[in-house]
Amino acid sequence: MKEILERRYTLTPFKKEIKGLKDAFRRASLRNLDSMRKRGFRPKNISYYEEVILGEKRYEELKGFSGRIIGYFCTFIPQELIYAARAIPIRLCSGFYDTVLVCEEILAKDICPLVKSSFGFKISASSYFELCDAVILPTPCDPKKKLIEILSDYLPVWVLKIPQDKTSSSKEIWLEEIKSLKERIEDFTKTKLTRQRLEETIKLIHKRQTLFRQLYEIRRANPYLMGGRDFLLVIQTSFYDDIERWIDKTEELCKQLSKEKTHFKTDEKIKILVTGSPIIWPNFKLLNIIEDLGAEIVCDDLCSGTQSLYNLVEPDEPTTDVMLGAIADGYLLSSVCPCFIENNDRIDRVLNLIEEFRVGGVIYHSLRLCQLYEIESHRLRLILKEKKIPMLTIHTDYSQEDTEQIKTRVEAFLEMLKR
Amino acid sequence: MIVCGIDIGSVATKTVILKDRDIISKSLALTKASPKLAAEEALSKALRQINLSEKDISYIVSTGYGRRIIEFGDRTVTEITCCGRGATQIGSPLGKIQTIIDLGGQDSKVISLDEEGGILDFVMNDKCSAGTGRFLEVMASVLEERIGDLGEIALRSNNPVRINSTCTVFSESEVISLIAQGRNKEDIISGICASIAERIAGMITQVGKKESIFFCGGGARNRGIHRFLEDKLGVELYVPQEPEFVIALGASLIAIESLKKI
Ligand code: SF4
Ligand code: SF4
Repeated sequence: MKEILERRYTLTPFKKEIKGLKDAFRRASLRNLDSMRKRGFRPKNISYYEEVILGEKRYEELKGFSGRIIGYFCTFIPQELIYAARAIPIRLCSGFYDTVLVCEEILAKDICPLVKSSFGFKISASSYFELCDAVILPTPCDPKKKLIEILSDYLPVWVLKIPQDKTSSSKEIWLEEIKSLKERIEDFTKTKLTRQRLEETIKLIHKRQTLFRQLYEIRRANPYLMGGRDFLLVIQTSFYDDIERWIDKTEELCKQLSKEKTHFKTDEKIKILVTGSPIIWPNFKLLNIIEDLGAEIVCDDLCSGTQSLYNLVEPDEPTTDVMLGAIADGYLLSSVCPCFIENNDRIDRVLNLIEEFRVGGVIYHSLRLCQLYEIESHRLRLILKEKKIPMLTIHTDYSQEDTEQIKTRVEAFLEMLKR
Repeated sequence: MIVCGIDIGSVATKTVILKDRDIISKSLALTKASPKLAAEEALSKALRQINLSEKDISYIVSTGYGRRIIEFGDRTVTEITCCGRGATQIGSPLGKIQTIIDLGGQDSKVISLDEEGGILDFVMNDKCSAGTGRFLEVMASVLEERIGDLGEIALRSNNPVRINSTCTVFSESEVISLIAQGRNKEDIISGICASIAERIAGMITQVGKKESIFFCGGGARNRGIHRFLEDKLGVELYVPQEPEFVIALGASLIAIESLKKI
């Protein structure tokens, strides 16, 4: 009976074979890489990350993987639990324009591009999404909530309910969510998440997070050693790559960078902080414009970027309960996603970054139809105005058609900062 | 020292030639399909008027959306910076300029200036063309009026209609249905001007409202929009004598400054 009720309105999934989508992704990626190469100095082993982001090799590798692959969205999903079940997590938030068009064939246009693009990937049966056995989705905003419902026609979807704030009662509810997610993962993968497995994977991810921080510190000491886009490239490849290989390569990268000398005179370039809606490969349009115009993106607070490094899970003792508690706190408290009712954490973080990186101006990326970021921009704008830090807001989406207009705005903004 | 500023806008391309700091020639050409040809045409027209040739010019700054298209320029600067520079040079009888409204063909912008005339902040209209000269052009053709007459016609109305749509295409069909309903043409035109004024007023709120406002760009010639803006903002606006040349003038001034730096 329960089964029947549950299946009552399940629809036959809509699928669309689309030729050329993979080529289009490759073209979009290469366009970014071309523009990134123009910067001049880049670390030697950056080509490794370039290959990962193109995705072709990694896709084949994952296709041959015999265990479970679990997709997830946002920064709230504890990858520790997935790795502990010997499964592989893949982040599915997408920045690809062509799959937006695919999605718009069945859903309305007036939905945030990130969700349209990700869902478009699912229905066009291409990329990592196709390899996922299940998906974990949090509930930060309306498009993500309804994505849960729609995706449920296609594959098992597990929901992680995001609390509205970070108070202690919210933290309790959140911990329960994490615990039930753990059970679901155990059932699904038929793998017990033992204390020992958890401890190991917490350490593994801790190592990765430490590397994020190391890179961040290197850039803080000398922001010109590595371009902002290259930094994001390194972070975003960790969403897809084999974690141990990524750690090896990134240790190498850090070592290499700490030996490098400055490649630009200090303060030669205008230092920009990028904040706002997620910027995910291959949607590097705004970043390309900024850096092609000669400015340097020295830091960001994007959930697809620097936000990743604030989450350090450090349990006081290796018992399952304490570890789960540390995981829950780590993922909730470090987030500055605008889904929370009050988000002073984000303002604090932006102000801190401005100071630490001696930022000249802030560029706010507002994805069309992403209401949360749009609304939050108002407060930040006023606060920065008070502090006399110039901010430029760019409203855009994943298409290329407004490139020239954005260029004019950014260029004028840089001219203004140069004075 | 002879320098030149070229503003390649979406509708018109404007050129200003300076000798030392005085304007010795200026010209305007319609941009039409080729910004490149328009720039060449505008420049040679301006040169012909003073019997000079291109080699007499020591420095050219190009600006506007087509700024990168021409090959004979020495430097490109955005229209926002040029607009600020041009406006401060012209000045205003209302006192030190604090805010500039530029109503151009494809975009409109509001610029806020600091004490020294430097740019403090700016906003531009989004992708869509509502609230720009292009919008007026579309409406003028639907209403079978000349774009230059719209302002005067608007002032004759006592009862402007309300245009609800915020996008050019939708507004166009809205206007068509207003015509079909038999609404008075003056009232419709007046409503169109009011809707543009409303958009611009919204942009002014974004950068922070100031007292001394300078209004330029081709759209500043529209007295209807001018009046609605003054009503909405509750302050007088200053429109310079040739509002479409402000940006080109700014570019030519930047040309002088660039030359000095060399
Ligand atoms: S901003 Fe928040 S809701 Fe949006 S993708 Fe990032 S984590 Fe998810
Ligand atoms: S937070 Fe914004 S960008 Fe992220 S899924 Fe929600 S609406 Fe889309």
